[in-house]
This record gives sequence, C-alpha cells and structure tokens, in this order.
Amino acid sequence: MTQQHAPPSRAVDPWAAFGRLVAGVAIYATIGWVGDSWIGTSFLVPVGIVIGAALGLWTTFLGLRQQ
Amino acid sequence: MISADVSRAEGFTPPGPGDFDLQPLFGGTYAFAKPGLQLILAAVLVFGFFALTSRRAVMVPGRAQFAGEQAYGFVRNSLARDIIGSHDFMKFVPYLVSLFFFVLINNLFGLIPFFQFPTFSKAGFAYGLAALTWVLYNGVGIWKHGLIKYLKLQSIPGGVSGPILLLIVPLEFISNLIVRPITLALRLFANMFAGHLLLILFTLGGEYLLLESEQLLYKPVGVIALLLAIAISFLELLIQFLQAYVFTLLTAMYVQGALAEEH
Repeated sequence: MTQQHAPPSRAVDPWAAFGRLVAGVAIYATIGWVGDSWIGTSFLVPVGIVIGAALGLWTTFLGLRQQ
Repeated sequence: MISADVSRAEGFTPPGPGDFDLQPLFGGTYAFAKPGLQLILAAVLVFGFFALTSRRAVMVPGRAQFAGEQAYGFVRNSLARDIIGSHDFMKFVPYLVSLFFFVLINNLFGLIPFFQFPTFSKAGFAYGLAALTWVLYNGVGIWKHGLIKYLKLQSIPGGVSGPILLLIVPLEFISNLIVRPITLALRLFANMFAGHLLLILFTLGGEYLLLESEQLLYKPVGVIALLLAIAISFLELLIQFLQAYVFTLLTAMYVQGALAEEH
C-alpha cells in the first residue's frame, strides 16, 4: 500500500446543504418569533424563514464553489 | 358493493408504530426486550468474526482469513482511506470497520428469521450511535486544533468575511454541531422503521386478504401482496446495506472535516 491517497480539500458532505437550510430556517425563524412577541408584530417569522433559507442556500453555494 | 367493503376494511387492523413496542423478555423498570438482545448479539458477532478470522493470520490466507481481510479491506480502503486521506486514516479504521459491520448486522436482523426486527427501528439506539460519532469527530477536532480554533473552523466557512459573518456563524455552528448528529440518527432510524412497517403491512395484509377475507375477489390480491412482500424484502436488503454504508461514510466525512485545516 505505497499508493498515496490525498484527501479532498474538504469532504463533500451531501447532507451539508440540508443541514444548512434547516439550521438557517430554524435560527432566523426563532429570532423572528422572539422579535414578533417582543414588538407585537406578526410578520417577522416569515421574514426570518426567508432570510434563513436564503443564507442557507448562499453558504451551500459558497461551500460548493470552494471545491 | 366492493368499494363499500373496502372502506369498512372488514376486521383488518393496519400495522402502526405500536408494532414496534415489543414485549420485554425480562425485567421490570428497565425492561430488556429483543432489540437490546440483538444489539449485544451483533457486537459479539462482529467481534467474533474478526477475532476468528485474524487470530492465526498467516502469509497465505485460508478461506476464513481471506473473508475477514476482504471485509476489513472494503471499509479500510473505500471508506476510511478515500475519505480521511492516507495521512491520518489508520487511527480511525478500527472504529469505522466495527461501526459498519455492527450497523450492517443490526439492520440485517430485520430480515433474518426469528429476529425479523431491525434494531435501529427503535430511535433510541440510532441516537446513541450518532452520539458516538458526534463525540468522535468533535473530540478529534478539539484534539487536533484546540477548542477555540476548532469552533472557529467549524463555524466560519472559507471565503466569507465582513459583517455578513454575524449572520453566517450561528447558522454554520448549528448545522455542523447540532443538525448533523440528528440527521445522522434520523436517517438510519427512519429508513429501518419505514422498511419494517412496509414489510409488516404487505405480509399481514396479504395474509388477511388471502385467508381471512370472505370476498373471493380479494384472494388473488392477497397473493399479489405476498409476492410484493418478497420483492420488498430484497429492496430492504439493499437499503439495510446502504444505510450501514452511509452511516459509516458520513462518520468518516465528519472526521475528515474536523481534521481539515481549511474549512
């Protein structure tokens, strides 16, 4: 076994995209919910969901471009 | 006429999550049921197989030693070395080999007569196994980089700078340290659970339609359902192998990600 196998610069975890989307939506929806109950509005949860999903997509894109 | 009969469903009780609550074999408060027994048996089998095939290892392997080396070599080369890289992988080979065959045997119990219950269709076992992987890759990362640097590597993606980091860091942190072990466990559990439920449904439903239904028309449908149950068993065989492979593959990937300098 003298053959060298160099690892990829970063493991391509096929589930990273899922994790990022779930994490993004969960965090920013929670922040939105806290904001909603603090200020008394009702639109911050959907805004948080959209922002979280967008950030999750963006980081996934960045991660793939790094390959 | 027939549709009315179907909607009444006669006396058939469809299988559900309740079918996974097995009678304890013994014990009161900390009841010990078949899945626990299978878990122990799988550990003994994996240990026994590799101990027997490697104990008196000789230069020219016999049949048993060859089988053991093939099994070991498969995980060592195609999972550990190709993912983690030739520099660090040997340290993790023992864990990855045991993990793969432990999960594989526990999954195969779902089809082996007299067991016929995939151990990891009980979510608790899958969470325990994912917790081991979580401890492993975080431990490896902290050991290699130190706590602060490791957390930095795990939560700051490469190529991002400026105030946007404030939004990205919590996302990356949660996705790498909290979502990962949960999806790892859920994937294994859900696949085993759904597959077993499907098998129960087709076998019990087929048996009911064929033997207990009073409608003559239903009997051929019962035969079809039982034939499909056999086909699904083969599909399950594939999924059981695949899930053991994926679990080990992702464990190796997480270890590699924790070791990597650049994230």
